[in-house]
Amino acid sequence: MTMTDSPPATETASAAPSPAVAGLYESLTTTDHKRIGRIWLQSGVLLLVGALVLGVLLGIERLDADSTDIFGGDNAYFQIWALYRIALVLLVAAPLFIGLATIVVPMQVGSTNIAFPRAALSAVWGFLIGAGIMIAAVLANGGWGAVDRASGDERDAVALTLVGMGMVVLSLLLASLCIATTVISMRVKGMTLLRTPLFAWSMLVACAVWMLTLPVLLANLLVAYVDLHNGPGTFGGGLSGDLSIYGQIAWIVEQPQVYAFAIPVLGILGSIVPVAAGVRGARHGLSLGLIGFFGLLSVGAWAQPYFQETNDALVRYDEKFVYIAFGIAAIFPVLGAIGGAADSVFRGRDRVAGLPPAHLLGALGGGVLLLAGTAAGVARVIQPLDLGDRVSVAGVMNLVLFAAIASAIAGLWFWAPKIGGHELSPMLGRMVVAEIVLGAVLLGGAQFINGFFLTANNPLVAPTEDAADVLNLVSLLGMALIALGALGLLASLAKAMRSGETGADDPWSGHTLEWATATPPPAGNFAEPPALVTSESPLLDISPDEAADEGEES
Amino acid sequence: MFTTGFKFFFGIGVALATAGVLYGYTSGGNHMGPVSLGWKGGVGEHVGYGLLVGLGVTAMGTALTLIFFRDADPADQADYMGVDDIAPTQPVTGSHWPIVAAFGVGTMAVGLVLNTAVFVTGLVIVAIVAVSWTMDAWADRATGDPVANRALRNRIMAPIEIPAAGAVVVGLGVLAISRILLSSSKLGAVIVAGVVAVVILGIGVLAATDAFKFNRHVVAGLSLVVAVAVLGGGVWAVVEGEREFEPHETHGSETHDEADEDHGDDESHSDDGDEDAEHTDGDTDGE
Repeated sequence: MTMTDSPPATETASAAPSPAVAGLYESLTTTDHKRIGRIWLQSGVLLLVGALVLGVLLGIERLDADSTDIFGGDNAYFQIWALYRIALVLLVAAPLFIGLATIVVPMQVGSTNIAFPRAALSAVWGFLIGAGIMIAAVLANGGWGAVDRASGDERDAVALTLVGMGMVVLSLLLASLCIATTVISMRVKGMTLLRTPLFAWSMLVACAVWMLTLPVLLANLLVAYVDLHNGPGTFGGGLSGDLSIYGQIAWIVEQPQVYAFAIPVLGILGSIVPVAAGVRGARHGLSLGLIGFFGLLSVGAWAQPYFQETNDALVRYDEKFVYIAFGIAAIFPVLGAIGGAADSVFRGRDRVAGLPPAHLLGALGGGVLLLAGTAAGVARVIQPLDLGDRVSVAGVMNLVLFAAIASAIAGLWFWAPKIGGHELSPMLGRMVVAEIVLGAVLLGGAQFINGFFLTANNPLVAPTEDAADVLNLVSLLGMALIALGALGLLASLAKAMRSGETGADDPWSGHTLEWATATPPPAGNFAEPPALVTSESPLLDISPDEAADEGEES
Repeated sequence: MFTTGFKFFFGIGVALATAGVLYGYTSGGNHMGPVSLGWKGGVGEHVGYGLLVGLGVTAMGTALTLIFFRDADPADQADYMGVDDIAPTQPVTGSHWPIVAAFGVGTMAVGLVLNTAVFVTGLVIVAIVAVSWTMDAWADRATGDPVANRALRNRIMAPIEIPAAGAVVVGLGVLAISRILLSSSKLGAVIVAGVVAVVILGIGVLAATDAFKFNRHVVAGLSLVVAVAVLGGGVWAVVEGEREFEPHETHGSETHDEADEDHGDDESHSDDGDEDAEHTDGDTDGE
């Protein structure tokens, strides 16, 4: 039996820094959460670049779908369009946050490692293999919706897409379980849940929502798989035709579920802004509550158009009170979090005067994009505006997901010393963040407005208004700008890896425990167990004398 | 005083036993039957009552065992072992099972769609991972000494792993060599078979007589080279395909493919003098 009354002390491993270059076997089998997290981050960044390439190509095609045929027909066009959306959620936003959390959360809560490190390692490899299967199958004409538009020869490819996607979802669930368990059960002494750092808390909420909702996506995939083998409509889907497979899973890229992939935006905002402003974050409990409330409103597995009643006498899911209420209420926690950030900036205005650091710019930019996304979501649920099946849906999705990506990039810059041992270029960081935020505003904003000109969400339906062409061009420019930012991100990472210069232990005068360890963090994270935590900002509680002593010791 | 394990299992045991008694009385039990295990009266519906009370008693027994042995209580372990402090548990070490598990699940996923044999292969990989990973996880926490943990793990798993690995290696070797033999010409097949036989015999003789003391790294390197050669040859042979076999008629319309070689048995067949000619087996052939 391994049940313990009081757990035996875990040996703190030697404080030697992680080796810069490790053998291949060690890379494949490591249980160090920092190395596992880096695999997630590297995968997320590379897949982001791939998704953006698709986005630019889709934008060019959409400019003039009649005469342009980049993908070789409507069928392939539709499949790549769906791949871009699914990839942005499952292969980019979620992995970036999971990667950040896998590295940062254990240190923030004072733990020596992530919970179930071998399961965490299994999750990242499962994700990569599943993503590989899924992408390869889609490129082999097996994307969602393919069998409805072709002869059915590619049934195996479609089935592979479904099982690959299922593997991706399972891996994300496993990784979520590890992160959530770390926050719940591996916090250092004195760190109650109410004293949990905001990023760790936001990841706990996000992982909980993912664990509640992503199994529903797995069930959708299973239904689609059975449908594929037994003939369409085995389970009596309401929709049929072109979108029958994509239609079953589209809810994960639409509100309210898409908000679930942006929950950590609020945590990053709350973690970075007070540090950048040099002030203690105000009303920590309220911030925890706002993040939890936003998480609650993002549970969207029930909003599935595929299974809704098509009988006119019954109410469609998007006309139900709860859907409208969720859509409207979601903006309030975001407003609250941004209000808190504004308060921190105001109190620390002397310190943030001048050129803001990249992480502050990214955190604020992510918050503003999320605010824009939730505001667009409010308009989306207002029935008289009739934006339900218009391209405004894509506008909401892009604003929210690029809010997540901008925040994750802000996190990369902020926690870079703890992630890779190096600091990233501040100037390149500002450029990257600015390009992504501005590009997302152009992309998502233009798509949202385009909905008012009756442009359909379905890419195969040609726009009817002339203004739509102009707005499509603006969207394309936005996407190109974001792609430029992603290239800058790659350049920054490459530059940091080449420089070999070790970052400072605590370059930002951080408030939470990850800044109490060395850069790069040693195996086991802390040379000495962290002191008793008495507030949500433990490093601000250390007296100047203690801080001086620690400085001398180090 | 009471360990967490004791409280957990004892609580479950009490709850289950209480539920069993209630179930007994509400499903036809009478007098003192449900509380006396049927000694004084009826217990009601037997299956449900038996399950609930049985599980409850088992849980309470587990709880008593835990409190008796003070399982996993570091202070009591230290007291029992007569030391001041037991060795701390080790950080979780690296393991190849997670990536093998991911590979196994991926193989299952692809096999589910494309090929049953691939699916079963993935399933076998996942099953192996499940057993081995579980044993590793258990052994890692068995004691505070990694060397002792490793020995403990090997004591249980080696009798399973070594024969299983041996069977896989021999199976792959036989498969690869058989493909090579089928792909080679008649003379080539004889030579390959002869060389393989001599090599196996030679290795056996050397090992049995203990004539040479080999460096283990040399042995490992040579084994790797041989394994790569055999497997590579097998793959090459599969790609090349089997050599041509001529249809070989048996009784009536029954035919089978067989290499055109002379039969050394007493079968009667119509041989027109050309050894490559089609011939018919006698009635004793293969019967």
